[in-house]
Amino acid sequence: MKLSKNFTNPLAANNPVIVQILGICSSLAVTVKLEPALVMGLSVTFVTAFSNLVMSLLRNGVPSRIRIIVQLVVIATLVIVVDQFLRAYMYDVSKQLSVYVGLIITNCIVMGRVEAFALGNKPWDSFVDGLANGFGYAFILVLIAFFRELFGSGELFGFEILGDWYTPNSLMLFPPMALIIIGCIIWVHRSINKDLQEK
Amino acid sequence: MAINKNSNAYIIIYTVVMVVIVGSMLAFVATWLKPTQDANVLNEQKVSIMKAFGEADANFDEVVTMGRVTDGELTVVDKADKAAVKSVFDLLRNRKNLSEATTDLPIFVYVKDGVTKYVLPIVGKGLWGDIWGYVSLQQTEDNVVITGIVMDHAGETPGLGAEIATEPIQKLFEGKALYNADNEFAVRMQKGGAQNEHQVDAITGGTKTCDGVNAMLATSIGKYESFLRGAEVEAEADTEECACCEECCAEECCEATAEECYAECEANVEPVNVEEE
Repeated sequence: MKLSKNFTNPLAANNPVIVQILGICSSLAVTVKLEPALVMGLSVTFVTAFSNLVMSLLRNGVPSRIRIIVQLVVIATLVIVVDQFLRAYMYDVSKQLSVYVGLIITNCIVMGRVEAFALGNKPWDSFVDGLANGFGYAFILVLIAFFRELFGSGELFGFEILGDWYTPNSLMLFPPMALIIIGCIIWVHRSINKDLQEK
Repeated sequence: MAINKNSNAYIIIYTVVMVVIVGSMLAFVATWLKPTQDANVLNEQKVSIMKAFGEADANFDEVVTMGRVTDGELTVVDKADKAAVKSVFDLLRNRKNLSEATTDLPIFVYVKDGVTKYVLPIVGKGLWGDIWGYVSLQQTEDNVVITGIVMDHAGETPGLGAEIATEPIQKLFEGKALYNADNEFAVRMQKGGAQNEHQVDAITGGTKTCDGVNAMLATSIGKYESFLRGAEVEAEADTEECACCEECCAEECCEATAEECYAECEANVEPVNVEEE
C-alpha cells in the first residue's frame, strides 16, 4: 500500500517538475524533440533511482558531517557512467543533449530525493521513490517535447506527422515556448487537483 | 565496539575508501567504453567528409583516398597502414594542432565519373568558440571551385551565428570560385549581401561568426593553395612526362627506369592512341 503510494505520488499529485518546480532548466533545454527528451528522462530516472538506492544502503555508515559530499560523489559517479554510455551507444542523442547530461548532477530532483527520502528510508522504498520521481520528470519532459516537436517541426520521433500543409512554428523550438507549455500543464494540473490551488 | 562516526579518523578513512572505489569504477567504465566512443567519433568524421563531397550515402572506406599535403606535394596515405590513417584522423580531431599545422596537411580525394574532388578540413574561431568543418573543392581550368561545405560550431548564438551549421547557409557556398581575376582569395560572407560572384550573403546578426568563417576559409584553404593551384600544372607535367616516357619506351632509351616506364605506358598509352586515331 505504502509502496504503491510512494510510486504514484510523484507521478501526478507531487510531481517534481509541475508541483515542486524542480528541474526546470533541463526541461526547457532538451525538449525540442522527443528522442533526446525521452533519453534525458530515462537518464535522470536511472540516476535518481540508483543514487537513492546507494545512499539508502550507506545511510547508517555515512558520517553526517560529510554526507552532502558523499551524496555528490555518488550522484556524480552515476551521471558520468550514464554520460559515457550515451557517448558509446547513443552518440547522436548524446551530442544533442550535450552538457545537460553532465548537469543532471545539479538537478535538484536527484539531490532532493536523496536528502529528503533515501537517508531516512529502507533501500527498496528509496529505489522505488527515485524511480517514480524520475518517471514523473521524464513524463513531463516527454509531454512538453511532444507538443514542441509536433508543432515546431511537424514530426514525432523524427517521423513526419503533419503534412506539407503545415508550416512549422519555429517559436515552438525556442526555450521560452517550453516554459509557456510547462505553465499550461501546471494550469491544467491544478484545475484538476483543486487542493494544490493556493488560496 | 562502537565507532564514533564523526571522528576525524573515521571520516578520512571513509573518504579515502570511497574515492578509491569510485575512482577505479569510473576508470574501468571509461577504458571499457573508449573503443566504442572513438569509433563513433571516427564515423562522424567520415560522414561529415562524405557530406562535404555531396555523397552522404557513399562508403568512405571504399571510395575516398586519403593523403597529406606538404609544400604543395600530395602523398597518398596507404589505407592498410592503420597507424598512418589514425594519425590523420587524430590530427582532424585536434583542432588546435590542425590550425597550427603547416606541413603534412590532411586531404581527402574522391574521383567519380572522371571528376576529382578534394576535401580539406577547415578550422577557425567564431564569436564564442571554435568553428570547424570540411570544404570540398574541384579544380577548373583557371580556378578552384567550392562544390560543397559542411560547418559546425561549439557554441555560436542559436538562430544567428549557429546558422552556419544549417544546410541553407552551406548551400550558398556551392559553385563559388575561390580566386578572383587578381588571383586573390575572394570567397567570403559579405555583410549587406553578396557584391560579386565570389561572395555569399552574411547572416544578419551573426556578423562576428561570419567574420570567423571568412578567416577560417582564407587561412585553412590558403595552406593548400600551392597544392590546389599547382596541381593543374602538375597534371600537364604528368602528360608531358608520359609522352616522353612513351617515346622512351619506343626507343628503349631509358633502361634505368624501364619497369616504371612500361607500367606508366600501359596505363596511359590507350587514351593517347584514341586521340591520335
